[in-house]
Amino acid sequence: MSESDPPVVLIVEDEPDVAETYKLWLQGDYEVRMGQNGDEGLELLDESVDVVLLDRMMPGLSGDEVLSEIRKRDLGCRVAMVTAVEPDFDILEMGFDAYLSKPIRSEQLHDTVTNLLERSEYDSMLQEYYALVEKQATLEATKSSAELAESDQYATLTEEIAEMREGLDDTLGGIEDDDDFIATLRGLSNGEEE
Amino acid sequence: MYDLSSVLDFDALTEVRPGSSILVSGPAMTGKEKLVYDILADGARDGDGAVVVTTSDKAASVVEEFRDRVPDLQGAQLGVVDCRGEGGADPELIEGVSVHQVSSPGDLTGIGIGITKALEGLHDSGRERGRLALVSLSTMLTYTDKKTVFKFCHVLSSRLDAAGYIGVFTIDSGAHDTQTIQVIKQAFDGLIDIRDAEGGGREARVLGLANEPTDWKKI
Repeated sequence: MSESDPPVVLIVEDEPDVAETYKLWLQGDYEVRMGQNGDEGLELLDESVDVVLLDRMMPGLSGDEVLSEIRKRDLGCRVAMVTAVEPDFDILEMGFDAYLSKPIRSEQLHDTVTNLLERSEYDSMLQEYYALVEKQATLEATKSSAELAESDQYATLTEEIAEMREGLDDTLGGIEDDDDFIATLRGLSNGEEE
Repeated sequence: MYDLSSVLDFDALTEVRPGSSILVSGPAMTGKEKLVYDILADGARDGDGAVVVTTSDKAASVVEEFRDRVPDLQGAQLGVVDCRGEGGADPELIEGVSVHQVSSPGDLTGIGIGITKALEGLHDSGRERGRLALVSLSTMLTYTDKKTVFKFCHVLSSRLDAAGYIGVFTIDSGAHDTQTIQVIKQAFDGLIDIRDAEGGGREARVLGLANEPTDWKKI
């Protein structure tokens, strides 16, 4: 996600009216793509997609099948499942990052997309944080404490690490809720940042 | 605040802020595991919840350990996340303790789900304080790289912070290179270092929880 381009949301939904409504709500803030079924959705999916809104019940490929294909391709996008009924199973164990049950309101849709984008932001900050920590550890392992005390590079690094740590605590409010917690861990296991 | 000084007598451990995560580091056979179990048991005696994430002991032995240490352990006071990946040999509930099986010490999502369920169980029974132990990071490091383990520790610490819990994580300092230990340390608020003392016995020091590192002291 670069600074200038709006994030990309892919809607995979077989009912055209419903898909159009989501698009109307989102198009001011995001670049919106629409696929009418699972196959079309997968065709429109590439590295630039940030969030997928995936209808679970569709003719042809089901939402679950599309999800497993997305995970297999190891794309960094976040996937929200859209269902007709509130699921009575553990959505997180199925590998979705969030779910929305129909009918969806505009505000709810915006909140979900925003939260999913924040999680991606959190992931990339964590990645950056790790890079700094590793650099610091290398210096600590190779220099004496006297050398470290005199090193400007070390002082700057230490400062950057403290800042980054605070930034992480602010994004998502740290990791306050269970969904954010599990989804972030799944991101680590999937090796999305590689 | 959490007072750990009755388990390990250091001033720096009398007022540990809720949300703190502490790394317990030392060579093999220096009692790291016993120490973290003692820290959890000490809290459980005062009504704190306890969550054990284990990569080596089976859930039934963890429960037994706790029953020995805390004879009046309440139901729903202990949750165990068993990551040995040996499958469903253990029942879901061992004498009222909730147990979650995870397929392997490298299955971070599974471990997260297990921890979430354990925390939920404790929360539902009205416990607002609790302590989590993870034994051990060294096993996790054999399943996944240090970058992933570092991030896992950071994310888990952040979750514990939101819950107001404290976490104690063990690592075998002799099993990894200096750089790995240095990196992993950075994911924690504090460090308890243990080593064999000259002339027998063990000594420990505490870093990061007070302004200055403490001196080594016999334990």
